[in-house]
Amino acid sequence: MAHQQIHLTKRPALLAVGWALLRIGAVAFGGLGATLALIERDLVERRGWLEASEVAAALAYTKPLPGSTVVQVVTFLGWRLGGWPGAIVSTIAFLLPAFAIMTLAAAAARALPDAPWVRGALTGLQVAVVGLLAAAMWRLARSEAASVQLTVVLLAAFAAGLFVNAAFVVAAAGTIGIGIDRIERDA
Amino acid sequence: MLELIGRFMIIGALAFGGGQAALPLVERLAVADTGWLTPTQFATGVGLSYATPGPVLILAAFIGYHVAAAPGAMAATAAVFAIPVVLAGFAAQLVGKLKNAGWFQAFGRFAAAAAIGLLGVTMAALARPLADIHPGLLVGVAIIFGAALRGVHPIVLIGGATLLGACSSLL
Repeated sequence: MAHQQIHLTKRPALLAVGWALLRIGAVAFGGLGATLALIERDLVERRGWLEASEVAAALAYTKPLPGSTVVQVVTFLGWRLGGWPGAIVSTIAFLLPAFAIMTLAAAAARALPDAPWVRGALTGLQVAVVGLLAAAMWRLARSEAASVQLTVVLLAAFAAGLFVNAAFVVAAAGTIGIGIDRIERDA
Repeated sequence: MLELIGRFMIIGALAFGGGQAALPLVERLAVADTGWLTPTQFATGVGLSYATPGPVLILAAFIGYHVAAAPGAMAATAAVFAIPVVLAGFAAQLVGKLKNAGWFQAFGRFAAAAAIGLLGVTMAALARPLADIHPGLLVGVAIIFGAALRGVHPIVLIGGATLLGACSSLL
């Protein structure tokens, strides 16, 4: 009986998982770090469905994979909570609020009149976006490309990206990485 | 529609380094290659994706909507997350085995560094039209950059800059 109870707390109902992730998805502002904190507070501390170490594992295993890491952390943890159904329900529930807001925003953006104040607002928005991209690039470079080797890759990719397709540059860099890794291992 | 789905699936499969690092791929697809969006529309979408909760790549819904209304938004969103989500599910299943795949880790490290470098190209593409409007706007970019690194929330920066832009046009 005691064993069964432990099992039950470890595997909450799909509907409850979906509801919890929908709520997190609706307030998951501020990127990966802020969302991880939300997940930890809700799923680990408040509901006790997961261990903190599982959240850390989710991050460690999904970071090297291609794709949005925050979504993949949710998928990974959803799988731990309820296998593939848990993974699918968690992911869809988490994305639903962002998807709904974005679709409405896209409709609104298309309906904007071509007035001077709209053009001014969009220019202001664009200034903010370029500044935020610069900040994102700075932060990512310091965390993901801290070594000299990877800084060279970063700069070479920037130069190549001015002339060559971006997808090709990413794939080529990865392939070169496999080659260098093999040479370093043999040496 | 098939092109939309196919291209966004490729972006998902190549998004090493996370969603923000994939923005250059999205810009190439939606602006440079297909002309689905103007640079200003793309920047608006990126701004909105920073201001909404959830992942930055929800930008796919914005672009999908511009191509084929609500069904397009749904198709693009499903496509861009499909491959990463399946991979993450398998990672949860195979915990422990992936960590030993050294070649895979090496691929990811280098691909992510390249993707970050490509962010510079996207930035340049979005900054050029600003410099054409007025070079002084680049000072605004620098101020946003500094404020973002000091931890000011993106929503505050986006809201403030948009408001300031709207007001300045009334002067």
